[in-house]
Amino acid sequence: MIKMVEFEDVIGWTLRIGVIISAILIIFGFALILIHNGGGPYTLNQLVNPQSNVNTKTIKFSTIYSGVESLNGVDIILLGLIILIATPVLRVFIGILQFVREKDYLYTIITIIVFFNLMFAIFIIPQIIK
Amino acid sequence: MMELIYFALLAIASIISGFLGSLVGLGGGTFLVPIYTLYLGVPIIYATGASLISTIATSSGAGSAYVKDRITNVKIGMGLEIATSGGAIVGSLIAAWVYSHHLASIIYIVFGIVLLIQIYFQLERSKFEIPKESKPDITTKIFKLHGEYYDQALNQHVKYYGVRWWLGEIIMFGAGLISGLLGIGSGALKVLGMDWAMNLPMKVSTTTSNFMIGVTAATGSSIYWMYGYIQPIIAGITALGVLLGAFAGTKVLPGMKNKTIRYVFTFILLFLGVEMILRGLGIIR
Repeated sequence: MIKMVEFEDVIGWTLRIGVIISAILIIFGFALILIHNGGGPYTLNQLVNPQSNVNTKTIKFSTIYSGVESLNGVDIILLGLIILIATPVLRVFIGILQFVREKDYLYTIITIIVFFNLMFAIFIIPQIIK
Repeated sequence: MMELIYFALLAIASIISGFLGSLVGLGGGTFLVPIYTLYLGVPIIYATGASLISTIATSSGAGSAYVKDRITNVKIGMGLEIATSGGAIVGSLIAAWVYSHHLASIIYIVFGIVLLIQIYFQLERSKFEIPKESKPDITTKIFKLHGEYYDQALNQHVKYYGVRWWLGEIIMFGAGLISGLLGIGSGALKVLGMDWAMNLPMKVSTTTSNFMIGVTAATGSSIYWMYGYIQPIIAGITALGVLLGAFAGTKVLPGMKNKTIRYVFTFILLFLGVEMILRGLGIIR
């Protein structure tokens, strides 16, 4: 029973920290964009525009890391969004550990299937579509 | 200057959507996508992309509080998540196909229909806080569909068990599909799957649904990301705004539980639903 309580605390903190970090990054990214009147190669008008063509297809995933290092506001916002998406993924992963610890094999397998679906959507589908 | 005004409009619209959503127990997306597309000129791909991302924020935000209450049934949620995450993959791939064939009007029409269907659930909901007794079936035993929680309003421990796991799974696949297709959490459909199909108490259904929404939306979001439906500025401000609005909503919620308010929301749903359909049919704009 004590173990379960521990896990639930870990899950609660994972969710809370994930949301807080991503919110801080997004706010920081917006601040940088406003200060620099744009982000990276894009002007403020190109970014804040309903018809903007700056999106997750035009910005290559591999360039986000270097953009974050050079304090490009757009890439910092995207990093915040990545962390937001990763939070439930991490939560499912913790779920696998929790069921293993409880020796509940049926639910360990079920949770691994859910985790596989997530990995399939994140890593395998982009490879197939490309 | 124009940029700042537009930015402020997005912020206000997302805060309002998050606020309204949490008051009626729907995700922010239900109100967000219609407001963005009908009134702010946001392309539907960016509106649904931002909506789906914001759904994760509200799910995780509320989830961190729910975990403490121990009402969420993680086993039932995880079991059903097999179907929802699968459905989300199929739904977002269908969305991508629809957009690439310039058939966005279909999304408007389906969205409108889903809004109108929600009205029914708004009016029918919470008739029974605790479901009628029904005999445990074979899936109750295999999948350990039971649990208990402390209900503050009723001041008692409620023991419960779920039935018809298979029917829950079928409905959940549909919920995931709608979530991926329209970029919403489709929490109402998830609650239907647990409350009606599996005979679980309302509180367990809603909190477990909240847990599931985050996982479902993460599945769909990664596919949306690849297709470029995430515009960083729009998605960023939406995630923050909806989160803020939803948080404010939960603070005022206890004092706001009367029928009049529910009817006002029903009217908003009706209005937005009809407008989305008219837009899809090309009758307006």
